[in-house]
Amino acid sequence: MTGDSKSSGSTLVTPVPHRPGNGESTHSRTVSAVSHNYSLLDIYDSPSPPPPPQGFGHTQIDENTGSVDIDDILEQPDITASTNDNTDLEIKTVDDESTNASIAVDLSSSTQTSTTASTNDSQQFTTPITSYPNSETILKSKFDRYGFKKVSSQVNYSNDEYNDWFVGYTKYSSVIKKKWTLLLKSNGLKSSTSPPTRFPPKSDKVKKLIRKGIPPEWRGNAWFFYAGGYERLNKHTGVYERIVKDTTGIHNKDTEVIERDLNRTFPDNIYFNKSLQGSNTTNEDILEASTITSLRRVLTAFAHYQPQIGYCQSLNFLVGLLLLFMSEERAFWMLVILTERIIPKVHSANLEGVHIDQGVLMLCIKEYIPHLWSILGKNFEGEQLSEDKILTRLPPITLVTSSWFMSVFIGLPIETTLRIWDILWYEGSKTLFRVSLTISKMCLENPEFQVSRQNSNSEVEQIELFQFMQNFPKTILDPNILVDHCFKKIGGYGFGSLSQDEINQCREFVSKQRAKLNNKKHTALTAEMSDDERRALETAGAFDGDIHDVYGFHRSIMSGVVWNKNISNIMKKKFTKKSK
Amino acid sequence: MSGRKKTLLKVIILGDSGVGKTSLMQQFVNSKFSHQYKATIGADFLTKEITVDGGKQVTLQIWDTAGQERFQSLGVAFYRGADCCVLCYDVTNEKSLNNLASWKDEFLIQSNVANPADFPFIIIGNKIDVDESKKIASLQKKLNNVTSNQLGGLNYPVFETSARDAINVEPAFEVVAKMALQQEELNEAGNDVSDDYNDAINIHLESESSSCMC
Repeated sequence: MTGDSKSSGSTLVTPVPHRPGNGESTHSRTVSAVSHNYSLLDIYDSPSPPPPPQGFGHTQIDENTGSVDIDDILEQPDITASTNDNTDLEIKTVDDESTNASIAVDLSSSTQTSTTASTNDSQQFTTPITSYPNSETILKSKFDRYGFKKVSSQVNYSNDEYNDWFVGYTKYSSVIKKKWTLLLKSNGLKSSTSPPTRFPPKSDKVKKLIRKGIPPEWRGNAWFFYAGGYERLNKHTGVYERIVKDTTGIHNKDTEVIERDLNRTFPDNIYFNKSLQGSNTTNEDILEASTITSLRRVLTAFAHYQPQIGYCQSLNFLVGLLLLFMSEERAFWMLVILTERIIPKVHSANLEGVHIDQGVLMLCIKEYIPHLWSILGKNFEGEQLSEDKILTRLPPITLVTSSWFMSVFIGLPIETTLRIWDILWYEGSKTLFRVSLTISKMCLENPEFQVSRQNSNSEVEQIELFQFMQNFPKTILDPNILVDHCFKKIGGYGFGSLSQDEINQCREFVSKQRAKLNNKKHTALTAEMSDDERRALETAGAFDGDIHDVYGFHRSIMSGVVWNKNISNIMKKKFTKKSK
Repeated sequence: MSGRKKTLLKVIILGDSGVGKTSLMQQFVNSKFSHQYKATIGADFLTKEITVDGGKQVTLQIWDTAGQERFQSLGVAFYRGADCCVLCYDVTNEKSLNNLASWKDEFLIQSNVANPADFPFIIIGNKIDVDESKKIASLQKKLNNVTSNQLGGLNYPVFETSARDAINVEPAFEVVAKMALQQEELNEAGNDVSDDYNDAINIHLESESSSCMC
């Protein structure tokens, strides 16, 4: 920690020399031109790649639009618009985009700027890993293919155990990659020369393959493609570069925290910690990894672009992982997509999204793993918590589960995290709930936890559960175990049936209930409340209805649970439609 | 004298991001230091059994928290039932020193303790291993100012530590344990100020009724 502070203290100064290449003088003029003149988008037309098969783009867009719509009820209005507006652009860029260089850099080179510096920059700072050491190398190395230490204090397995798993998993991966190659081929997409930039439109077949895992070297492109990254990027060409220019060298509350977190992001990864590369230099200051420099730029730019979020700890991990798979600019837009659409408000200043999503998760556990709920949903006296309590004061276990959401399962063995990310970018936020439920149930069913529960009272049980749920995910070395448990209907938990609709409705319900309760608290206490909160309350319709509504899951629809008025109406409509 | 009764004491470590909360906890519980701690998201706890004066065995349950301000809204659940609160700052970061009072207030609001004025806090200034030139200028004076003015002049114990070099960490937590034990006994004597909230974390390993004041 002390060392961290030393280096981060100094890095406040050191990065500056790196930066001018990216956004200075001649370059910056281009940037501002770009930002004010979207006709520059025309450059995407010039290389004129072979047009994609008719209908391909549209299907894909529809899919994406669909995913946007269902993905979150709390989404901001402009997102759908952006998706629709850029149908054409999207297709072209998919073809054009060179995999490694960021679009911003391509753009500046096309507009006759002196690009030597920026091109170097892009190579030095924004190139994700595109080729991986072969498996022989990895077996002998201390590091995995992504540059993480195979064994660290974070994990509970030995190097041998890792290697055993790795040998088997490598075989599995190569089978899956063949399937991917076939799938791409059957969709008229090529994958032989370099990682593909275009992928088949969403379908059940693709979804199944996504759940089996995306080949590591294709991940960045596939995530970006299925998350709707191209739509974002095309709508905002040059924006990232401009923000970077505007935010270079600024100092504020956010950058202060960012600086402190840079070297605490993936200290066990060689791309983030140069001292792991074996050089015996002791001066960490001159050894700032280029990935750290990129991380600083993206986080700073994001804090500027989304002031209602600013910088929130855990964003560093999210961006850090993205940067191992894609350019800075793409990582930036992926973060925007994640925080606006997939887990809105989860990183905002009041973490309201955390409260909402954890409330939803607790309701899910109550509904789907009642036995677990009977342990963690009790108060000190052993009484079950009522739903009102769940929504205003979350049970302690949410300290564990909220970090799963905020860091999107970073902290699990890396391949497991990546497999979850594969699914998340394709299927959306329901993935977080499904995986959380899966891990929770795996904890409950774990023999070690069962044993330790004997002879203990409910409080001890809870504290043990907390610790167990904190540590258990670190042992899930084989992603297939988690994925199978989650989705398999036979031999698994079948949480794949928890739908996005259900999550969306539940989110809306919790959000409204919280708003009402907060409002009630507010009027009772005339407590301090920020303008933002007040506005949020008003927009959430905090001033009507009864606060004692109870949310019912699909399964309990028939059991006559009292319904929130709005949800009842939605559900009524839905069911009448279905019966027709 | 042989510690027939094991008491579980709950300790919360608070302080700005990056002051070394995780390092302090790790150094005390596991006697190790690493440059490779990740930023803490959410919260984590470790337990350690120690013997405080009088031969009493206690189990310290030490909670390490995320330092960024916004995470406070998640802290409510585990502040409750705390027996001692460790307020940390970084001797190279003046802001972290000036924020001590906010951390204290935040804790008192959230934990809802019975007698805020009597609640045991301890102050730890970490990273004393760093170069003198990097330390806060006239630290002692500023620290005095903070404790006497902002922290209400309540004579909280102050320790300067290095989690890296294991300086003063053990003594600091021994005092933490002592203070926490006093607080716990006080609470029990007062028959626990209970509220309706699910206070799952503050647990006693053995029956609360058996009293042993040795």
